[in-house]
Amino acid sequence: MEAPTLASTLLTACLRIIKLCLVVGTGILAAQTTRSVWDGVYTSAQAERGATLYANNCASCHGSALGGGESAPPLTGGEFSSNWNSLTVGDLFERIRTTMPADRPGKLTREQDADVLAYMFSVSEFPPGKAELEHQTEALKQIRIEAKP
Amino acid sequence: MYQRTLLLLLCVTASIFCQQPSTKNGEWPYYTADLKGTKYSPADQINAGNFNQLEVAWRFKTDNFGTHPEYKLEGTPVMVKGVLYTTAGTRRSVVALDAKTGEVIWAYSLREGNRAAIAPRQLSGRGVSYWTDGKGDDRVVFVTTGYRLVVLNAHTGQPISSFGKNGIVDLKEGMVTGTGQQIDLETGEAGLHATPLVVKDVVIVGSSFKEGMTVVTHNNTKGNVRAFDVRSGKLLWTFNTIPRPGEFGNDTWENGSWATNGNTGVWTQMTVDEDLGLVYLPVETPTSDFYGGQRPGNNLFAESLVCVDLKTGKRKWHFQVVHHPIWDYDLSSAPILADINVGGKAIKAVALPSKEAFLYVFDRVTGEPVWPIEERAVPQSDVPGEKTSPTQPFPTKPPAYGRQYVKVPDDLIDFTPELRAQAKDNVARYKTGPMFLPPIVGDNNLIGALTLGTASGGTNWPGAGYDPETHIVYAQANQSALFPISMRTPPEGFSDIRYVMGRNGTEFRVSEGPGFGSAADAPQQPRVAPVKPAPAKPATAPAASVGALTVQGLSILKPPYGVISAINLDRGDLQWQVPYGETPDVVRNSAALRGLNIGNTGQAGSVGLVVTKTLVILGDSQITTTPQHPRGAMLRAYDKATGREVGAVLMPAPQSGSPMTYVVDGKQYIVVAVSGGAYSGEYIAYSLPSNN
Repeated sequence: MEAPTLASTLLTACLRIIKLCLVVGTGILAAQTTRSVWDGVYTSAQAERGATLYANNCASCHGSALGGGESAPPLTGGEFSSNWNSLTVGDLFERIRTTMPADRPGKLTREQDADVLAYMFSVSEFPPGKAELEHQTEALKQIRIEAKP
Repeated sequence: MYQRTLLLLLCVTASIFCQQPSTKNGEWPYYTADLKGTKYSPADQINAGNFNQLEVAWRFKTDNFGTHPEYKLEGTPVMVKGVLYTTAGTRRSVVALDAKTGEVIWAYSLREGNRAAIAPRQLSGRGVSYWTDGKGDDRVVFVTTGYRLVVLNAHTGQPISSFGKNGIVDLKEGMVTGTGQQIDLETGEAGLHATPLVVKDVVIVGSSFKEGMTVVTHNNTKGNVRAFDVRSGKLLWTFNTIPRPGEFGNDTWENGSWATNGNTGVWTQMTVDEDLGLVYLPVETPTSDFYGGQRPGNNLFAESLVCVDLKTGKRKWHFQVVHHPIWDYDLSSAPILADINVGGKAIKAVALPSKEAFLYVFDRVTGEPVWPIEERAVPQSDVPGEKTSPTQPFPTKPPAYGRQYVKVPDDLIDFTPELRAQAKDNVARYKTGPMFLPPIVGDNNLIGALTLGTASGGTNWPGAGYDPETHIVYAQANQSALFPISMRTPPEGFSDIRYVMGRNGTEFRVSEGPGFGSAADAPQQPRVAPVKPAPAKPATAPAASVGALTVQGLSILKPPYGVISAINLDRGDLQWQVPYGETPDVVRNSAALRGLNIGNTGQAGSVGLVVTKTLVILGDSQITTTPQHPRGAMLRAYDKATGREVGAVLMPAPQSGSPMTYVVDGKQYIVVAVSGGAYSGEYIAYSLPSNN
């Protein structure tokens, strides 16, 4: 049996470090994908900003109370839940970002879209938290939409 | 010699007959299957025994037929000679697809710029129509977002240059306001997303306008129905749905108000009796949907079924189902032509499904109701200036096939005493009452008149179906479409109408309608809103909690939220009625209902259906996830005789267009448009596995 060389020792150490990184990284990822809208994913201040944006850009079709119009769907309640339950906040964010407001898609910035989402979540009584809702789609795709915790 | 001539004649007749598109050939040549509005196909390969084996034959995504995807795809293709024709995308392109594979044969679109972006009816619409001379001149007819009538060569997708100007007739020409002022061809308000009615060599088109909740003027564009020659595009006749001086019904617009009001179009599908030469027009509400103080009188032909002569457009008869309309009870569905037998008497009838969930049935030759329709006293309005009709028509048969108003407390949720108590508290914030409860001037104390089945109840634009062999109408009805109506004065300078939708004591908001602002050429300018809205209040106390129409996330109403009915037209009664779809997740998973057996509540929503030899086929309007199926909406088959569900197949999104069926090379297909939520528009074709 040959004694381990310096090179092989270093290689083994590197592999262990990589393995550890993978385990930790996977753990972090797993923790991220288990977040849901019930985990305090926005702040009250952000929802307040979103309320104003909603009133000026969304309410004419979706209604002041988010109950929907004759054609625009409700943004809270059973039908909203039916459409989005078990999808991610990222899916909803992309839907808003690429198609809303209907008369001027892309008018709002990513940050403003996230604020509107925060307001919608507050109306649906998802609890606020300490950190603002992010505005990067991939990050938002780690947050599930669930009807109930 | 005589025999040979007769034989030749028979051969020629048979040859011509064979070239006429028909459901008998396995085709689906009209939006409603045939000119009679039945949505019936005799195809029977797909049946109760094999429906569960259906699989996706092909799918056609519409995302790239416009600048952005469409999430409200409502088209129903027609299928003739192995080719499907339909509309797609925010550009409202027309596509021809191979009916067996979904492969694109050709596509056509017209870039209309701002004219489309400001159109009152946007997105891809309901589809196209088909015309043939039986000798190879085959045409596809449709109306663009910007209200142009276009006729295309069905083989190439190119405009027929001899029709109109290079294949196009500008339908805004001839549309007027006031006493006859031509609207601006670019910015004037008029559109249509129904398919044109093509019969013989005639194309008949209606007209539609923006939603009437917060209108900027009562003197809007006037609706009409027009007929054009399918070969040349020449205008053949116009029927004024708001009669002019000297025309029948003009006096029902008191104080000369015909001259200062508009709308009253025909935005849904029309039907025609080709043999009798009679066309049936379902007319909508005048300006505005909820306030008629500036148009006293019954306002013919608003919310009337009107029968006109196919050749001349002259009125033969009419029946107004709502006098002086102020509930948005637009006649929403294609009238169904039915040859029935009542008490031993053969009657050529026309049956009209409705938002009211009444099926109005008339002798289609004379206009006489088949069963008496009684004028009954109804509540009267106290909105200043409004003069409601003292009575409204109530059919005595068939019975209503859906809920028509909120009966308190009987119609309120009763899963638990606590839920009912909460519902009663919430409803106390509204005025309630029987059908035809008029709008009120609402405020923060009394929120509005709580109506049901008005704007979007009963049977809406997808319409109903009919089996011509058994004389049974099949209709889906939304019976949980609560619609609070409150009126308020508009802000200074916003409108010349005295009342618009809204509540006193709250911030005024403009309400927009279906798909508004969603055309391929958006962005656009919003409607004039001279009052700068104040910043909204923070979200700490959601407005939804005040007088909410839900309790603990559940509808304040009892289920079933939607129903499917079979209505026997020989007897005028309900043969069966079952919940539509299955219990929504929000109900099934409700913490408030844990441990309770609540059964099938059905679903809200309005969807169309197909009637085949043995089945009624329609899809869910909501996505569910159950132990029986993964996340999705189900396309379901119901036994025509009993209403029992006999099969279901998964769709990735809710049904958003009315389905159709056809047979090509011995194989039956069902095509349905799906979309909604995160899922953009897609046509999906289902068929049985090849080894079946």
